Amino acid sequence: MSTAEVEIGTPPGGAGAKAHVRRHHFSWGDPLFRWFTIACAAAVAVAMFVLIGVLVKNSWLAIHTNGVSPLTHVDWAPPDQFGALSSLFGTFVTTVIAMIIAVPLALAIALLLVELVHPVVSRVVGTTVEMLAAVPSIIFGLWGFLVIAPLMGNHVEPWIQTTWLGHLPIFSGTPFGDDILTAGLVLSLMILPFITAVSRDVLKMVPTVTKEAGYGMGSTTWEVTRKISMRYALSGIAGAVFLGLGRALGETMAVALIIGGLTTGIPHSLFSQGTTVSATIALNFGEAQSKLETSALIELALILFAITMVFQALAQVWLARARRMSGSRA
Amino acid sequence: MSASTVNVVRSPLKPRRMAGRRLANGLITTGAWIAAAIGIFVMGWILFTVVIHGIGAWNWAFFTKLPPQGQYSPGHGIANCIVGTILITFGAAIVGLPLGFFGAIYLSEFGRTGRVASAIRAITNIVLGVPSIIAGMFAYGLIVVPSHHYSGFAGSFALMFIMLPVMTRTAEDILNLVPNELRESALAMGVPRWRATLGVVVKAARSGLITGGILAVLRVAGETAPLLFTALSSPYWMTLRGPSSYFGGPTANLTMFIWNSANAPDPGLVRMAWGAALLIIVAVLGVNILTRLLFQRGKEW
Amino acid sequence: MVELMDTTEPGAPPPATRPVPPRLEVSTPGAGHEGAEFDALPSKLSVRDLDFFYGKEQALFGNDLEIKENRVTAIIGPSGCGKSTHLRCYNRIYELYRDQKAAGEIMLDGENILASGTDLLSLRRRVGMIFQKPSPFPMTVFDNIAYGLRMHFKLSRSELSERVQDALKRGALWEEVKNKLNEPGLALSGGQQQRLCIARAIAAEPELILMDEPCSAIDPVATGKIEELVQELKSSYTIALVTHNMQQAARVSDYTAFFFEGRIIEFGSTTQIFENPAERQTEEYITGRFG
Repeated sequence: MSTAEVEIGTPPGGAGAKAHVRRHHFSWGDPLFRWFTIACAAAVAVAMFVLIGVLVKNSWLAIHTNGVSPLTHVDWAPPDQFGALSSLFGTFVTTVIAMIIAVPLALAIALLLVELVHPVVSRVVGTTVEMLAAVPSIIFGLWGFLVIAPLMGNHVEPWIQTTWLGHLPIFSGTPFGDDILTAGLVLSLMILPFITAVSRDVLKMVPTVTKEAGYGMGSTTWEVTRKISMRYALSGIAGAVFLGLGRALGETMAVALIIGGLTTGIPHSLFSQGTTVSATIALNFGEAQSKLETSALIELALILFAITMVFQALAQVWLARARRMSGSRA
Repeated sequence: MSASTVNVVRSPLKPRRMAGRRLANGLITTGAWIAAAIGIFVMGWILFTVVIHGIGAWNWAFFTKLPPQGQYSPGHGIANCIVGTILITFGAAIVGLPLGFFGAIYLSEFGRTGRVASAIRAITNIVLGVPSIIAGMFAYGLIVVPSHHYSGFAGSFALMFIMLPVMTRTAEDILNLVPNELRESALAMGVPRWRATLGVVVKAARSGLITGGILAVLRVAGETAPLLFTALSSPYWMTLRGPSSYFGGPTANLTMFIWNSANAPDPGLVRMAWGAALLIIVAVLGVNILTRLLFQRGKEW
Repeated sequence: MVELMDTTEPGAPPPATRPVPPRLEVSTPGAGHEGAEFDALPSKLSVRDLDFFYGKEQALFGNDLEIKENRVTAIIGPSGCGKSTHLRCYNRIYELYRDQKAAGEIMLDGENILASGTDLLSLRRRVGMIFQKPSPFPMTVFDNIAYGLRMHFKLSRSELSERVQDALKRGALWEEVKNKLNEPGLALSGGQQQRLCIARAIAAEPELILMDEPCSAIDPVATGKIEELVQELKSSYTIALVTHNMQQAARVSDYTAFFFEGRIIEFGSTTQIFENPAERQTEEYITGRFG
C-alpha cells in the first residue's frame, strides 16, 4: 500500500532531475473505505426496516382475521378471544407506577451527584447506580419473584390493608404478592439507573458561571437547582423521562415473572394479578396452539413496537433540543 | 446614554423569612441522600440475596454436568448452559462488534455533519430503545420461521441486533474524543484517510473501544427475552450437527434456564436457578468492574 | 469613550535615576493628601492576613486590604496572580468547591465574614458579584432582575415592577430593554447581558459590588458604557473591581491594589500607584515589563 510519494533527497537538478510523484497505487482505498463504513453504519437502518417488515408479515394473518378487535376487546383467551386491552392496561399501569417511583428518586440522585458532590461519596453512589444498570433483567425477575413478591404478599400488602389506605378500592382484594403493584415496584428499580444517568449528564451541562451567579445572589442549593438548573435542563430531563418510559414499556422478564400472567379482565386493584403486553407475549408464545395465536402474539409485538417507538422518538426530540440549548447558549 | 438617577424614596423592603428557604433546602437535600441510600440498599440487597441463595448450588457437578431432563435430582449442573451462553454471545459479537465499530467510524470521521449521518444516528438511537423481546421476534420471523426450527444461531442474531446500536453509539462517542489535531497531523503527512483513521485515530482510542466492546457484549450476555423464541433452552450437550447443534436446534443457555426454573416446584431446581444467577452476576459485574479498572474509562461520577 | 475628570499635574518630577512611567490619564479621588484622607474614609471591607488554599497549594499569602466605602477599588496584576481568588473570598463563593479554603479575617462592617457562623445567604445579598462571562439566568429580562428581589423580600406585584424598573435605570439599561422585558435575558447582546447582570445585582440592594473582570468578554464600546456605569454607581455602592486591563483600572478606580503571585505588593490611591509606584515590581508591571 503506497501513498503519494515524493522522492526526497534528490537535489534539484540532480539525478532524475524532477521531484517524482508516484500515483496512488491504492487510490481507490479511500472511497472504498468510505463506502464500507457507510454500509456498516446503514446496517442498523436497514435492519430496522426489515424488522418492521418481518413483524408486519408475520402478524398479517392475525391482522387480517381479527381486524381492530384486539384494540377494542379486553380478554386474551385463544382460540376465540384475542383482546389486547388487558395487556395494554397492565403495561400502562405498571409503567405509571414505575415512573412515579423512579423519576423523583432518579432526579434526587442526579442532583446529589452533581451539586452535593463529595468526591468519595459521588464515586460510591455513581458506581452503585451503574452496577444496578448492569444487572440483567432476569435476575431482577428472580429476586422480585422469590424475595420481594412474598414479602409484599405476606407482610406489606396486608399491612396496607389495615391502614386507612385499605379503604381505597385500588388496595382491595386478596393480596397476591406477585401482582401489579410489585411488578411496578421492581420495574421502577430497573429503570432508575437509566434515568439517573441521563439526568445527571443533562444537569452537568448547565454552565458553571450561571450557577455561581445564582449562588452569588444568595440562593440556596435547591433554589439554584429549581430556578436555574432545571430551566436549562428541562428538555434534557424530559428526554430522560421518556427514555425511561420506553424502557419500562418494553421490559419483559422481570414483569412476566412477577405479575401473574392473568390475561382476562381489567384488574380493579393494585393487589391483583394482571399482565402486560410483553408479559403476555413471553408467557404465551411457547404454548401457542395455532398459527392464528402465534400471529396474534406477533401482532401484540408490533403494537408494542409502535408504542415504544413513539416514545423513543419523542425522547430524541427532547434530548436534541437540550443539546442545542446548552450548545448555543454556552 | 446615561443612567437616570432615581431619587424616589421608597418604602423599606420587607425581608422574607430565611427559615422557610433553608427548610426547603434541607428537606430536598435529605431527600436526595435518602434516594441515594435506597439505591445502594437495593443493590446490596440483590447481591446479598443472589449470593446467599446461589452459593449453595455451586459445586463441581454444577459446572460440569447437564441439567435434569425431567424430575429434579441432585448432581445435575448447568455446564451446557454455560457453553451455550458463551457461544451464542460470541456469535452475536463476531458480527455486531465489527459492524458497530466501522459504522461508528463512518459517523465520527465522515459524518460529523451531513444529513445521511444525522439520519443514521437518529435511527441508531431509536433502535437502541427497541425492547429486547422485539429483537427476539425479529430473529424469529427472519430465521426461525423460514428454517422451521429454533436455533442458537437465531438467538445470536437477535442479540446482535441489540448489540449493534450499543456498540455504534459507544464507539462513536469514544472516537469523537480523539482530538482533531491528531487526525490533521496524520493527514498532513500525506497519509490516505483510511490509513490515518485506522492507524492513528483508532490506535489512540484503543482502550476506550475495547472497553466499549466488552461492555456491549456484557449487556447482551444477560438478556433473556430475545432467546425466548429463538434459542429456547436444552438439557443436552451441544453437538456439531443435527437437532442439538448451534444452527440446527435449541441451544442451552443460562438465562433461559433461570426463566424455566424460577417457577419450578422443586426447590432443588430453584436453587440451581439461583446458582446460575450468581454465576451471571459474578461474570457481568466482575468483568464490568475489571474492565473499568484496567482501562480507566467509564463516566466520571 | 470615557470622559475624563480633571487631571491634576503630578507634584515634583520623579528622581532622575528612576525611569518615568508613561503618562496615564487618571481620575482623582477626593484629591490631594494620601494618608490622612485614606484613614478618615470608612472601610466597607477590611481584609486581614488572608490566606487561601487550593487543596494543599497555597494561592494567597497574608493579604491585607481596605476596601473603602463608596469608592472603586481596583485589583490588578498579571494573570494567575490570585486577583480573582482574592475577590471571591469576599462573598465566600469558593465554598462551592470542596478543596478550596480560606483563612484569616475579612471584616464587613466590622463583622468577620470568614467566621464559621456567618449566614451566607444574607452575606451574598449584601455582597453582589458580576462575573467575567455575562451570565443571565435562563428567564425573561424581568425575571432576571426580579430574581434577587423575589428571593429575599416580600413584595407586591406593583412594587416589584417599580423596583425592577429602578434597577434597570440605575444599571443604564432601561431605555434599551423597556420594551423587551418579557424576552429571554439570553437574547440580549453581550454588553447588554453584562449590564443586565449588574442591574440584577443592584436590584437586591447590595452594599458591596464585586466585579471580576467584567469587561474582558465584552466589545470596547460596551466596555465604555460599563466603565461609565461604574463611576455612577459608586455614589450608592462600594465597588471592588478585578481587571487585567491596567488602563481600565487607571480610568475607573480610586484605589488600586497590585497583586503578584498571591501577595499584595502595593496598595494605594490610583494616582499614586500609576504615577509614583513605591515598589519596583509595581512599576515594572505598570510599564509593561511583564504581565
